Amino acid sequence: MAAGELEGGKPLNGLLNALAQDTFHGHPGITEQLLQSQLYPEVPPEEFRPFLAKMRGILKSIASADMDFNQLEAFLTAQTKKQGGITSDQAASHKTKIRESLMNQSRWNSLTETKHSPQIHTPVAIRELELGKYGQESEFLRLEFDEVKVNQILKTLSEVEESISTLISQPN
Amino acid sequence: MEESSELPLDAKSEFVDFQWKLGLAASCDGCRSLKYRYVAVLAVMLKVADHSGQVKTKSFEMTVPQFQNFDRQFKEIAAVIETM
Repeated sequence: MAAGELEGGKPLNGLLNALAQDTFHGHPGITEQLLQSQLYPEVPPEEFRPFLAKMRGILKSIASADMDFNQLEAFLTAQTKKQGGITSDQAASHKTKIRESLMNQSRWNSLTETKHSPQIHTPVAIRELELGKYGQESEFLRLEFDEVKVNQILKTLSEVEESISTLISQPN
Repeated sequence: MEESSELPLDAKSEFVDFQWKLGLAASCDGCRSLKYRYVAVLAVMLKVADHSGQVKTKSFEMTVPQFQNFDRQFKEIAAVIETM
C-alpha cells in the first residue's frame, strides 16, 4: 500500500487527534497498537510505523517552532503539498484543534490565539491568563475578545501607562 | 468549582470590564537591610462572564514589568485581529 493511500478521510483525522492528545496532553494508553488497530487495521505495522513517526514529527515541529496562528497555517499548507503529507482538508480542520492542544500544553502565561469563531464569523482573540496565587494552584482563565473589546482594553491600558509614568516621575 | 459535563479546557469566559488601581506597595527583601522599597503595583479587577452569563470579578496584581508585557501583547493582538 503506498503512503498516499494512508492519507485522507476519517482515519487520519482520528490519528492526528490521538497524537495531539498523546504528545501534548500526556494521555496514557494511546499506543501505536491501539492507533493502528482502531484507525488503520489493514495497514501492515512496518508501513504504519514510519507514517506514525512522520505525523508525530509534524506535530512536534509545530510545537517546537512555537508558531503563531499564521505560521501554523503556512506550515500546514506546506505539509499538504509534500508527498505523504496531510491533505488540505485535514489541515483546515486541524488548525484550531492543534493550536488548542498546544495552548493547553504549554502553560504559558497569557498565551494568545486568534481565530475566526465559527458561530459568529467574527475574528476573536482567545487569551489564556494564568493567575497564580501563593500556595495555591494557578487558575487558568480563557477569555474571548473581539476587536471592539480589544480596542476598549487598549484604551484602558494606555490610561494605566499614563498613570504609571506620572507615578514614576514623581519624586519620592 | 461547579460540576460540569463540559471539558473545562474548552470553557471560555467573555471579557466584560477591566478596572484598575495603581498603588505603591512597600516591599522589603527579607527585611535584612531594614530598607524598604516602594514598588508600583497595579491592582486589576477583571470582570468576566462565564458560559451561563454570570459575571464574576477576578482580582489580581501586576508589577510594572508584567503590565508592560501585558500591554505589548494586547497591542500585538490588536494588530493581528485588524488583519482578519
